[in-house]
Amino acid sequence: MNAVKNILNVLVSVAGVLLVWLTLTTWTGIIEPNRFPNPMEFWVSLKQIALQGYGNGKLHQHILQSVILVTTSFLVASTAGVTLGLLMGASRRIEAFVNPVFLTLRPIPPLAWIPLAIVWLGLDNSAKVMVIFVAAFVPSVINSYAAVRSIETPILEASAMLGIRRWLHWKEVLIPASLPLIFTGLRLSLQASWTTLVAAELIGALLGLGSILNQAAQDIYPAMILVGMFSVAVCGWLMTVLLGLIERSAMPWRATP
Amino acid sequence: MANISFNAVERVFHQGDKEIVAVGGVTLEVADREFVAIVGPSGCGKTTCLRMAAGLEKPTRGTVSVGGVPVTAPGPDRSVVFQQFALFPWKTVTQNIEFGLRSLNIDAKTRAERVKHYIEFMGLAGYEQGFPHQLSGGMQQRVAIARAYVLDPKVLLMDEPFGALDAQTRVVMQEELVRLARKHPRTVLFITHAVEEAVYLADRVVVMTRRPGLIKEIVDIKSIRERERWDQVERIEDVMDQPSFVGLRSHIWRLLRKQHAGDPQ
Amino acid sequence: MEGYAINSLHELSRRQWLVLTLLGASAFIGLWYFLAFIGVTPQKFLPTPLDVVQRFFTLSTEPFVGMTLFGHLASSFHRFLSGFGLAVAIGVPLGLLMATSKVVDRIVTPLFESIRFVAPIAWIPFAALWFGTGMGGPVLIIFMGAFPPVLINTYRGSKYVDVKYLEAAWTLGASRFRVMTEVLMPAAVPSIVAGLRVSAGLGWQSLVGAELIAASSGVGYMMVKGQQSIDTSTVMSGMLAIGIVGLLIDILLRKIQERVSQR
Repeated sequence: MNAVKNILNVLVSVAGVLLVWLTLTTWTGIIEPNRFPNPMEFWVSLKQIALQGYGNGKLHQHILQSVILVTTSFLVASTAGVTLGLLMGASRRIEAFVNPVFLTLRPIPPLAWIPLAIVWLGLDNSAKVMVIFVAAFVPSVINSYAAVRSIETPILEASAMLGIRRWLHWKEVLIPASLPLIFTGLRLSLQASWTTLVAAELIGALLGLGSILNQAAQDIYPAMILVGMFSVAVCGWLMTVLLGLIERSAMPWRATP
Repeated sequence: MANISFNAVERVFHQGDKEIVAVGGVTLEVADREFVAIVGPSGCGKTTCLRMAAGLEKPTRGTVSVGGVPVTAPGPDRSVVFQQFALFPWKTVTQNIEFGLRSLNIDAKTRAERVKHYIEFMGLAGYEQGFPHQLSGGMQQRVAIARAYVLDPKVLLMDEPFGALDAQTRVVMQEELVRLARKHPRTVLFITHAVEEAVYLADRVVVMTRRPGLIKEIVDIKSIRERERWDQVERIEDVMDQPSFVGLRSHIWRLLRKQHAGDPQ
Repeated sequence: MEGYAINSLHELSRRQWLVLTLLGASAFIGLWYFLAFIGVTPQKFLPTPLDVVQRFFTLSTEPFVGMTLFGHLASSFHRFLSGFGLAVAIGVPLGLLMATSKVVDRIVTPLFESIRFVAPIAWIPFAALWFGTGMGGPVLIIFMGAFPPVLINTYRGSKYVDVKYLEAAWTLGASRFRVMTEVLMPAAVPSIVAGLRVSAGLGWQSLVGAELIAASSGVGYMMVKGQQSIDTSTVMSGMLAIGIVGLLIDILLRKIQERVSQR
């Protein structure tokens, strides 16, 4: 019953937004057509890019390019980040050693690395990977570190008292206890990766969702800009949902938030 | 006239598919300026009755009226003192006490005088600019009582007000409340777990059963209190030692115990 | 006794901590110098740390693409404040309103949710289209980044206020307006300030992005110009400046957050 209610709610909301959109554009013309597209123009452009292609490829090619780039970089960066974060959390020595570098680099927003990445690696994919790496790395480290640090002392003491050796301690106690916050970090990393990729592609890319935006901006094609934004939003949302599913299956002992 | 009338009041909750009868059918008259305490086990509906009188909940059936007017919404004519104090942590003691007054059409000068009167009366002098977190539990409840009283309400509703205090503070507050009620008498509905507290403070004690919440018996305290001259006894401990007091207390305890022994009514 | 199992409990003495920190810092700088000297890349691509510091100070006094470093910073900060200020000015009252009025909630939520998942950067094309090279463009981007956390945190903070405060206010006869301003808002302040912190971070990031693409002044613009002339020290100086200012903003908000949670 609840599921049906929820779906109805969503449909009503979508219908509401569409209504507002139609009213402001086609029906009253409050918003001029060359500033923001109406639903019809949006639909036409969507079909165009999906079926015929725009800016070096069809929609699914753009999506694939972006998603693959984000996913690979995100996976590498977050693995490295989580590992480092867990190590820093578990060992004060490692934390003290790594801190100077980390604290200096951390306040620098990922997007601020783009010019440097371009200088070092040019305008192709490797530059994007570098920036996405930085974007995804930091939240993973911070949250994994916090995860270990927030494990209640009695749990750690129990583990020590039971004489558990280091490998088992990590596998059975440290990591499971840290999972919730690790996933928070992963969620933030994914969001950051996605945002950074779009920005990087906006600046210089031949293929990818950001490149759609760039091309459409240059062509002054508002409807296509909206298609680009819409695709960015939908993909970002889907990836978040996917991560949520993984999170839930990884931690079956948790009550769903 | 500020009396409280419960007329065949029922309150039913729905939890999923289950139906929970919190209050089964209560008819009760609290006379003007009478102090009535309701005691009973958890879940007997006593707090629900108070909340319906306050206007924080609506009866499923029947009506609650104050001064002849049915209760539909909360208001300053029926101020409430909560167990958890519910003082606004971001406001000072004075600002808390003043809060309700500012919604009434009273000029600033009168307001300040009224607030000052109750601050002094409740022993809060010196704490006017303090914040709730700086005060002990007992002090906080004094502020809460002052805040409710300063509105000169027709009816005072107190929901286990001393439940969150330690035993010693509790006793002191009971004496304070008696002093306050003598000085500024008004209609009071007082909810409590503690039988001694009820017998000490009230004119009548209502004993409720649970699931469904019904009135089992109403015990008259006032006539016995006046006959035995409890007010001539100085300290609260000594009052509670009086045979008449003990007799009433035991009687009410027995009524409550019968429910736990599985007796359905 | 496997002491290693509880190395999370192991605390360092002050001396150990100092030694390790210095070691880490030296290792970092040392590695940097090493990479710069062995010429992994031409000198221009990887300047030494000293080069960067020197360039930083030079930029503070000599103008580059129009202004000194501080001139650019001021320009960036001005944009940031406008976007952030707008986000707060709209987000806080709207969040409060949504928490108190089901009607407003029903209307605003779908509109908000449809916009929320769009990365702020993705608004750049429209920003350029609507505002050209004027300040409105970057401010819009910053707003899009800063707005969601403010709204969400204000909404959640007010909606989930402990009901006992609301009941106390109602039984004391407060009007709806008074409940909103004297109970909901103060009670929601910790949540709101937490939202401000996240919001400021996102806003500052969005600013950088906006300036990389659609600006003619500001630190981001400065870095782009540096990148175009392969002037890596300038780029790095820009990164340093951005990092420092971002850090200062966060520290300021953290102090405010601590003050506010003291009650």
